[in-house]
Amino acid sequence: MSQHLSSEDAAAIIRAAGLDLPASDAARIASGISPGLAAFSAIAGTLPFDLEPATFLAVQRPCAEPKEGGQ
Amino acid sequence: MSLSLRPSAGAPADPALMTLAEAAMAIRAGVLSSREATEACLARIARLQPAINAFIAIEPEAALAAADAADAALAQGEVKGLLHGLPLAHKDMFYEDGHVSTCGSKILREKVATTNSTALARIKAAGTVRLGALHMVEFAYGPTGHNAHFGAARNPWNTAHVTGGSSSGSGAAVAARLTYGALGSDTGGSIRMPAHFCGVTGLKSTVGLVSRYGAMPLSFSLDTIGPLARTVEDCAILLSLMAGHDPLDPTTATAPVPDYLAAAEGRLKGLTIGIPDAFYVDDLDPEVARVLDETIATLKRGGARIVSVSLPDQMKLSGASQVVLNCEASASHKAWLLERPQDYGPQIRSRLENGFAIPAVTYLEALRWRGPALAEHLAAVAEVDAVLAPTAPMPAPTIAETDTDGGPGAEAMIQRITRFTRPVNYLGLPTVSLPCGFTGTGLPVGLQVIGRPFAEATLIRIGAAFQRETDFHEQMPEEA
Repeated sequence: MSQHLSSEDAAAIIRAAGLDLPASDAARIASGISPGLAAFSAIAGTLPFDLEPATFLAVQRPCAEPKEGGQ
Repeated sequence: MSLSLRPSAGAPADPALMTLAEAAMAIRAGVLSSREATEACLARIARLQPAINAFIAIEPEAALAAADAADAALAQGEVKGLLHGLPLAHKDMFYEDGHVSTCGSKILREKVATTNSTALARIKAAGTVRLGALHMVEFAYGPTGHNAHFGAARNPWNTAHVTGGSSSGSGAAVAARLTYGALGSDTGGSIRMPAHFCGVTGLKSTVGLVSRYGAMPLSFSLDTIGPLARTVEDCAILLSLMAGHDPLDPTTATAPVPDYLAAAEGRLKGLTIGIPDAFYVDDLDPEVARVLDETIATLKRGGARIVSVSLPDQMKLSGASQVVLNCEASASHKAWLLERPQDYGPQIRSRLENGFAIPAVTYLEALRWRGPALAEHLAAVAEVDAVLAPTAPMPAPTIAETDTDGGPGAEAMIQRITRFTRPVNYLGLPTVSLPCGFTGTGLPVGLQVIGRPFAEATLIRIGAAFQRETDFHEQMPEEA
């Protein structure tokens, strides 16, 4: 994913997602989400093949177990 | 569970000015009736609601009838629970069978719930009395407290300023002493922002600690539920009641719930608190920077060890958080967006439209990265018990300057306000926002203490110890 989402990109993706919006909204939407996409672009496209979302729970849930000697 | 209260300096003349713990204990001890407590809250609501718009629905008759029933039961020796007869109100998104939950929207304005939120049901089972329903941002999708259908909530410290959102009514009502505590939800900062802007304590729980069943969804990966109250001890009581596994929400953890009230008795000595060396200390309003310095000094005096900590790149976390939130919110709302877009307020509709432009692969990458990102964070904070950071870079802005509707500046304004809260949501971490000072013009400033997953007890220990050293949480707006 490039760091910049153009109005044309946004319009095409929105159309494919099933939302019918005036073309004039595409520029607003592209500028609204571009900062987030740009911030995430350093990660997007770099993740290993066998990584799945449940890894989050695998990392998080052991933290819920009581520690020896109390909290 | 038993309430263990420190001796009070003296009961306030107005029962509504007690803390949640004090009022609950007073009712159970027969020193204060549920009717007296309820009448005190209702009197303040009647007086202050026109100015701050903290409630969406006020239910005085039903509240007083429930209070009388609680008093009659107590007279017969029947104690329903820890909060017997205590009047409360919550963000209007926790479904309660037979009651309307508007979710701050036009779309659900007449919708009567047929299920019960587990979090709310667990609080109710402790014996509470319902005062009504609190204001919120439409579908909890905004950090300021604006609402196109119900009007903006107003900050009790200065009604020209926003309350913060999306738990806008929860922050305003607790600050103005209209309720002893309130439930809120936090997907991008929605508990912490109103806690910061309104000068109250707000606890965002770890993803998986509190059941989300029966609570309005915004982002199923990021949503969390937690309390706002005057003190950390009050938040600990409410969290103790809500936390723990719920078969109706299979994402909740099965581990035993720690004793949060015992944690509130702990001291700062022996704890190490990290101060980020970047991001959370950059581009701060000078008054927020001053409060941060003063808070660090207080924590040091209390015995905490303060160290600098280098966190992973928070901008990447923030971007990932935004991607997940936008996509999940838009997916949940797609049917209504197609069928009745005109029934959304302009700002909410424009934000929901944003999510449709994010490619599915990007969304899935953001979900896949969550585990490694959390692991990297845990490694970075391995030597500290918690991290201290501002809740937001600035104190509460005015309602006028943040009234962007759905215009081109809306998203930028939202991202600026929630800059310090979004990364925490992506990592699913627990955080408590504490009142830590005031600006020269009298607006509250809150700081957030960020913990490891399921380490709410540590945050409660730090927050309660800090509140024993300070009195910011006892300050009340003059108008209130």
